[in-house]
Amino acid sequence: MAIIESTPQTLGKTLELTAAPVAVTPPATLGLLRRPMSTTGWKSWVFTVDHKKLGIMYGVSAFVFFVLGGFEALLIRIQLARPNGKFLSADVYNQMFTMHATTMVFLFVMPMAAAFANYFVPLQIGARDVAFPRINALGFWLFLFGAIFINLSWLLGGAADGGWFAYAPNTGTVFSPTHGMDFWALGLQITGIASLTGAINLIVTVINMRAPGMTMMRMPVFTWMIMVIQFLLVFAIPVISVALFLLTFSRLYGATFFDTQKGADPLLWQHLFWIFGHPEVYILILPSFGIVSEVLPVFSKKPLFGYNFVVFSGVAIGFMGWGVWAHHMFASGIGPISVTVFALTTMLIAIPTGVKIVNWVGTLWGGSLTFSTAMLFAIGLIIEFTIGGLSGVTHALAASDMQQTDTYYIVAHFHYVLFGGAIFGIMSGFYYWWPKIFGRMLNEKLGKLHFWLFVAGTNLTFGPMHIVGLQGQPRRMYLYPDGYGFGFWNLVESIGAFIIATGVLVFIINVVRTARGPANAPLDPWDARSLEWLTTSPPKEHNFDAIPHVHHLDEFFHQKYAEDENGNLVKVKTAEQLMAEQEAAKDAHIHLPSPSYWPMIISFAITMLALGVIYSLPLAIASAVVVLAGVYGWLLEPSVADDSDSDPAIHGSSDGKELAHG
Amino acid sequence: MKAKLTKAGLVASLAVGVLLTGCATDAPQDTWQPEGYYAREIDNLQRPVFYVAGIVGVIVTAAVLYCVIKFRARAGEEVVPHQSHGNTKLEIGLTLLSTLTLVAIVPSSVGTLWRVTNKPDNAMNVTVIGQQWWWEYQYDGMNIVTANELVIPEKTKIRLRITSRDVIHSFWIPKLNGKRDAVPNRYHTLNLESDGTGVYDGQCTEFCGLSHANMRQKAVVLSDADFKVWVANQQQNAAQPPAATMAAKGEETFIAQCVRCHQVNGLQNANGEPLQSQADEQLVSGAAPNLTHLMSRTTFAGGTFNLKNEGCDATPPGTPTGTTLECLNRSQLEAWLRNAPEEKPMYAILNDDKKYRGMPNLNLTEQQIDELVAYLATLK
Repeated sequence: MAIIESTPQTLGKTLELTAAPVAVTPPATLGLLRRPMSTTGWKSWVFTVDHKKLGIMYGVSAFVFFVLGGFEALLIRIQLARPNGKFLSADVYNQMFTMHATTMVFLFVMPMAAAFANYFVPLQIGARDVAFPRINALGFWLFLFGAIFINLSWLLGGAADGGWFAYAPNTGTVFSPTHGMDFWALGLQITGIASLTGAINLIVTVINMRAPGMTMMRMPVFTWMIMVIQFLLVFAIPVISVALFLLTFSRLYGATFFDTQKGADPLLWQHLFWIFGHPEVYILILPSFGIVSEVLPVFSKKPLFGYNFVVFSGVAIGFMGWGVWAHHMFASGIGPISVTVFALTTMLIAIPTGVKIVNWVGTLWGGSLTFSTAMLFAIGLIIEFTIGGLSGVTHALAASDMQQTDTYYIVAHFHYVLFGGAIFGIMSGFYYWWPKIFGRMLNEKLGKLHFWLFVAGTNLTFGPMHIVGLQGQPRRMYLYPDGYGFGFWNLVESIGAFIIATGVLVFIINVVRTARGPANAPLDPWDARSLEWLTTSPPKEHNFDAIPHVHHLDEFFHQKYAEDENGNLVKVKTAEQLMAEQEAAKDAHIHLPSPSYWPMIISFAITMLALGVIYSLPLAIASAVVVLAGVYGWLLEPSVADDSDSDPAIHGSSDGKELAHG
Repeated sequence: MKAKLTKAGLVASLAVGVLLTGCATDAPQDTWQPEGYYAREIDNLQRPVFYVAGIVGVIVTAAVLYCVIKFRARAGEEVVPHQSHGNTKLEIGLTLLSTLTLVAIVPSSVGTLWRVTNKPDNAMNVTVIGQQWWWEYQYDGMNIVTANELVIPEKTKIRLRITSRDVIHSFWIPKLNGKRDAVPNRYHTLNLESDGTGVYDGQCTEFCGLSHANMRQKAVVLSDADFKVWVANQQQNAAQPPAATMAAKGEETFIAQCVRCHQVNGLQNANGEPLQSQADEQLVSGAAPNLTHLMSRTTFAGGTFNLKNEGCDATPPGTPTGTTLECLNRSQLEAWLRNAPEEKPMYAILNDDKKYRGMPNLNLTEQQIDELVAYLATLK
């Protein structure tokens, strides 16, 4: 018996492709749930499986957590502005830095990469959606509920206070008696499922759903980098999942994995955490490498210099990223032989990273550069990330890392890499793709103000951290005493943090103004090069009227430009002409996946299950039953509702289901 | 636009420049001011690498700025630039160049690591034990147990064996060597050596919970002669204060309240039996600082507070380092005895196993506090 009854009763009905999608009344059902059909209003968002809507929801949620994590950072910087700060208590400070890192890493940068990946990977490879649209929705809701779940701990006795690295045994119940670490471990477990399902989904999408002619080596670099990180996620997330399970069972059920009184070796946690944690670093940075590899060519009017080298260095980073984890443990006492090996591998991984920087500069070289905000952020990334990369090389020297590790020098390093790298890349992506997503141009004047505030703020906040770190200021101290030479530079850092916050505020103002303004974006505002621009802005629900056939890397550029008789490139077609051609040759049958309640139900029940694990066994059992029932409901639900599909069932029921199985 | 972008370069190169010259005076934990063999080895390694890194940073910044200025689109210029797809020779050349640069660093990097970590011959051995939120030092074969201030002789190689009684801590005296984690169930080694006498500051550098920021340590480096005097003094038991003095009353309070956790060697009960602290019944870590020679130190409570008023030079008779009665930071010590968790964040409430982390509030009267201070001042 199907839980959902879906009677084919609208045979022969076709959907107008060019108009807004038609709302179809769902059929009467005999089952539990009527399939959601709304194409407008909140239901069209909450139950959607559209990769673009999910991408936007990922982006909005991640940005909210960016603001939250930034707020936490400001509280930290207020506390540290002067010696012997009294603004936060030690307890609150420890929660604050734990949650700042957790929020920025797991709830902002990772889902923001998922936002861009969800939205643009199908568009860049000329597909209509991802391979498993409902799993895509499940991933988003798991991320959002998991993220809210972690932050619930603020209201329920205190947030996690063991640091994002959560070194055992300090995270045991003896040393961290609130439920904060439980919320942290279970919440990350939930967002981990989101990352894992998302990774499988995008890998299958990229491998199977590329448009005709889109060979792997014609894929945009952004899609390439996203694919590399999905593979990293597939192998890295299980490691942290295991670690989190060990932690959860130790805390809630008295397991002794990390109980040193019973003979446990705390280094077990460190190895598990960093085997995940170092690939995680590349999971955070590679999407932004992908974004700037799109932006720099467009605004230089040149193809990416050394495309093959950029792609292969990305893949090489993906592989080598697995062999460097113990460089986080040079002072942990793993012995000089292990330290030597990991010091060497850490030096090696600098090489493919350097290759990327060379190629970005090579892309600028000889180009015709226009300095849009997107371009400024991309150029900013090259310089800021290089500073972070070079400080990275200095602590690849294991002996000097014995001085630098756990000082602010390290804090400086990874903020240059993550703020100057990952976040500059994300900001570049915002300004570059905003017109594509919303059909509106972000204001460039405000954008440039945003950029310069970020440049000033980044260097004022994180630059002096190099100095105080080398002067011996350790990390994770809720206060520092007077008389160590830390005071002046810490004040500068705090001022810098507020400059960054001002930049974020300018960006938000820009977004609000733009949202209120007219839909002013031209079809091809930047003279772009890749397929996502070969459609309307915002793209139609089905992305492309006709699936493009790909003949080149930078296909869109090559459709617009051709060589004249002198061998010079000239524009032969505008985007509008190409769009008209596509609309004229539109595909007769377009299959789109239908919305579903199940992803939402299952993800909510998993979150309740986690809550039950902490507080109430009956709630956990009841939620587990709902999860199980939800899986059956999902399995029995046709992936494409007969009556909502634009493909008439007259053509045979199998046709309508070939695109989406998720 | 041009001016603005140059500004970006200025900021970047300024950051690098400041970084390279970042050797402040008045920075007791500066990693760039080594005061002993091991720290100097590290410094000799990191300095040239920092300069090379700085140069590479300047080159990349300069190349980007050159592109930004030279290749910016001119108004009215409609020519599409040459669609260069790359230059394999250049790529391979630069990759080889950067590989060779890194390979060139390898011998000195690995060499330094091994020189810094190798077991020295004829070293003096000290066991270092971290716990929330202070350090204990056990001098092997000398029958000395002390806390927070590691007293060592100058120009002598010291071999530390480091472990922990609860969570992970990290021992670090930046001017003498890098850091090494103190991990329960494991012993890690760290070498120290100082060129001359002096006091070198350090700080626990592995996040260890609530008062991580208040877990400080010092290396007090003495001349050989002074060190011998110090050792001889440390090996003495505490003397009993004369009867009917304030100190004697303080001793009674100490026996009633403090000896549960804090050992004072030589302390006896009314029957003349030696008293042994039983910190493992009271504390999660199972240890509290041995106070037999409290006044031979200059700080207390995990190095958080000065025991000795600043600017006061005198040392107690019979020991080359420590705090005299005149120099005693009495108000801070009294505040600590009045309500320790108020002075330093600690989980000084009973947990499920009925144990504290850190020192609890003992609810002493002002009279008792005065007497206790008088007693503690006798522990030279």
